[in-house]
Amino acid sequence: MVLDLTMSMAVLALLGALATIAGCLEDLESDVGSQSNPNSQVQLAPQMGFLHRIFNKAISGEPISNGMSAVTGGVVTTVLLNAKFYPLTAIVIGAFIAAVIYGIFATTSYAGRVASQTRFKQPLYMDIMRYTTPSIIAHNFIVCFCLVSIAYIQYAVLGYPFTIPFLALIWGISVGAIGSSVGDVHYGGEREFQNREFGCGLNTALSGRIVRRAESGLRNSIDNVWFCAKFGGPATGIGLGLTVFFSSWPTTIWGYTWKAMIVGVIILAVMTIMNRLVEINVKNAYGPYKEDKEEKEAVSVAHTH
Amino acid sequence: MSDLKEIPPNTLAMFGISGGLLGIYLSPLFPTAGALGAICAVIWSAEAVRRVAKYGLGTGVPSIGQIAMGMGIIAAMFGLAIVKSMPLAGPILALVTASIIGFIIGWFAQNVIKMKIPVMIRCMTEIAAGGALIIIGFSAAVAGNFDFMGSIIPKVFDNGVMLAVFWVGAMAMLHPFNACLGPDERQKRLLYLAGSTGAITMAIMGIAATMTLGASGAATLILGIILWLIFYKKFWDEVYNDAASVIGTGLIPKTEA
Amino acid sequence: MVLLDPTTIIDILLIGLSGTLICLAVHFIPVGGAPAAMAQATGIGTGTVELAAGSGLVGLITSSYMYAYEPSADVYLVMAAGAMGAAIMLASTMLAGGLIYAYGVAVPFASAQVKKDPITGERQDIYVSKGTQGQGIPTICFVSGVVGAALGGAGGGLIYFVLMGYYTPLITTHAAAVAGVFTMGVFYVNSVIPSYGVGGTIEGVHDPKFKRVVPKDVFTSAIVSMLCGIIAIMIAGGMT
Repeated sequence: MVLDLTMSMAVLALLGALATIAGCLEDLESDVGSQSNPNSQVQLAPQMGFLHRIFNKAISGEPISNGMSAVTGGVVTTVLLNAKFYPLTAIVIGAFIAAVIYGIFATTSYAGRVASQTRFKQPLYMDIMRYTTPSIIAHNFIVCFCLVSIAYIQYAVLGYPFTIPFLALIWGISVGAIGSSVGDVHYGGEREFQNREFGCGLNTALSGRIVRRAESGLRNSIDNVWFCAKFGGPATGIGLGLTVFFSSWPTTIWGYTWKAMIVGVIILAVMTIMNRLVEINVKNAYGPYKEDKEEKEAVSVAHTH
Repeated sequence: MSDLKEIPPNTLAMFGISGGLLGIYLSPLFPTAGALGAICAVIWSAEAVRRVAKYGLGTGVPSIGQIAMGMGIIAAMFGLAIVKSMPLAGPILALVTASIIGFIIGWFAQNVIKMKIPVMIRCMTEIAAGGALIIIGFSAAVAGNFDFMGSIIPKVFDNGVMLAVFWVGAMAMLHPFNACLGPDERQKRLLYLAGSTGAITMAIMGIAATMTLGASGAATLILGIILWLIFYKKFWDEVYNDAASVIGTGLIPKTEA
Repeated sequence: MVLLDPTTIIDILLIGLSGTLICLAVHFIPVGGAPAAMAQATGIGTGTVELAAGSGLVGLITSSYMYAYEPSADVYLVMAAGAMGAAIMLASTMLAGGLIYAYGVAVPFASAQVKKDPITGERQDIYVSKGTQGQGIPTICFVSGVVGAALGGAGGGLIYFVLMGYYTPLITTHAAAVAGVFTMGVFYVNSVIPSYGVGGTIEGVHDPKFKRVVPKDVFTSAIVSMLCGIIAIMIAGGMT
């Protein structure tokens, strides 16, 4: 314990808040460029004859690309701190350089993927490139700033044994893993296939048949952020915020004892129960897709009598 | 596409190994050479990733870059640390160790996990070896030489730059194929992109090296940016050549769907 | 020969065990890959490798912090800290992901691999929407995922503990950086191997695939991790 209890709780709350912002923005950043798993549909669409005006940001999986941006930011920040910069300035410059490099990777993936789809006649739209890339850089800057700040606080204030780039990298991987597991479902499961009935499930036969028209004009990636910011992004933020907060909370209060581990198990049990409650609620609200055969027969028999 | 002339894998492997080792051995005289050697290894291993990932791995392209760096870092640490009396043998020993680990994992993937990818063993060996060279090359560019206890631990591990070498190096290797994936993927465009990602990594290492080495770090940074500009331009030339059409803006062309 | 010393052999076996735990973890975590991101398959909508690594590395942060500030912590407590960190990361992810499936895409949770959930006993097949392999994260997948992440975090904590024991006497202040990087290397090798084994997707412990692929993946991981263990200890030999 480096700090007293009140102070360490305050620091923990700050970390949780930074993580929530980072998580939310990370998911929106992956929607503005269309990355990770839902991007398989954007990639598939031209092959199905659905040419589109959506950015194809296939840098790599989200954990890897965000890890890269965070570790770059961490290294630049370390260099600047070493040159006696004020920490906030160092983090801002570090995050900016990392975000610009991230933007470069985004341009090469859009150009590269479209150039590899020549036989489907998918054009490379330069206006999409021009106004989507700055938006990607802007989103990534905020993510990177929050993650490097978390790493800085953990390293400089809490005294973690790892360095800033190491901690930033791990949080970058985690934010990417959470973003692609949580928020991307909202983009891939709903936004890309918004033209079918809400809640009908997504038949595999629909693959690649993405929505290409917007509320006004042709849909582009900026329209997708607008939609996902309503639910996908905030839910991702909650995911990362909970992770950062609850992974340190038991040991902050109860110290490094088995008691803290038992509290951790209780938190896990509560989360499992919450998931179960959601499951029950949803099943009752929506009902099954197909009726049970035996039950159906019983009902029809009852009707004939 | 098969009708286009491609550079054969053996030529690229020769280029990657000889260029990589040459750069690493020159790094005590001129640290920037380490990064240049690593770029040779990036180009080679990006092409190896392309050959194996074409078969579809089931988990996407990036996983293979990750395992390559995982194997590479273990082998690089081993190779550099174990040679106390003759440090010059370090990089070669790391290369050999990485190849052995890669071969073993490739053999298991092929024969125990049964992935049924004919080039699996060869490519796994190549990318592990490439990964080790990338890690040693970029580390040497930041540390000034490849002495594990004397330079690499205090100058690359302690300040966390190793993580950037590890992660951005993996990205440099896996991004080219991931970004060019598609039916009309071409080797030439991928090689230019590999040069570009390698040069970006070099520039980041240059920033880190200004902290550890001072002026020679600035040389790495500037040369990295110049190389990046050249490769990035070349990549875009290929994109303009290959893409169906490059247009400022416009409606979606009419298709059957 | 240093390698034949009994404590050294035990340490090599422990590193082998931790690699195996990480490998097992990948099989427990319900991952549906790209189809799950479109609500076309049960599980979490991302790749196996990153999810295992993401949760396991959060575990590495918590266990390393404990190792640094509680000198009396024994190996079990360090492993428990890693397990807790990793499990909380995965549980938060699945909980938030479940909210999206429930209210963003509006599909009931259902597994396509079993007819009834082994824990709640609820029917699954009638809730699977047309043309898909299930969707969302049913209770069995949630529990399986939490257990899996805990195994991965414990594995990461164990390697770190063993390596710190080796490196701290030799290179004191540099030990955490070297051990951390090495742990990460072992982590990635051991989370990619089983991902190839499961072919990118698995629902968790109840999936028929689980029984089919676990033996060969665990065998591969155990051999490769012990090789890594031998290398780690030989690196320590080079530090004197």
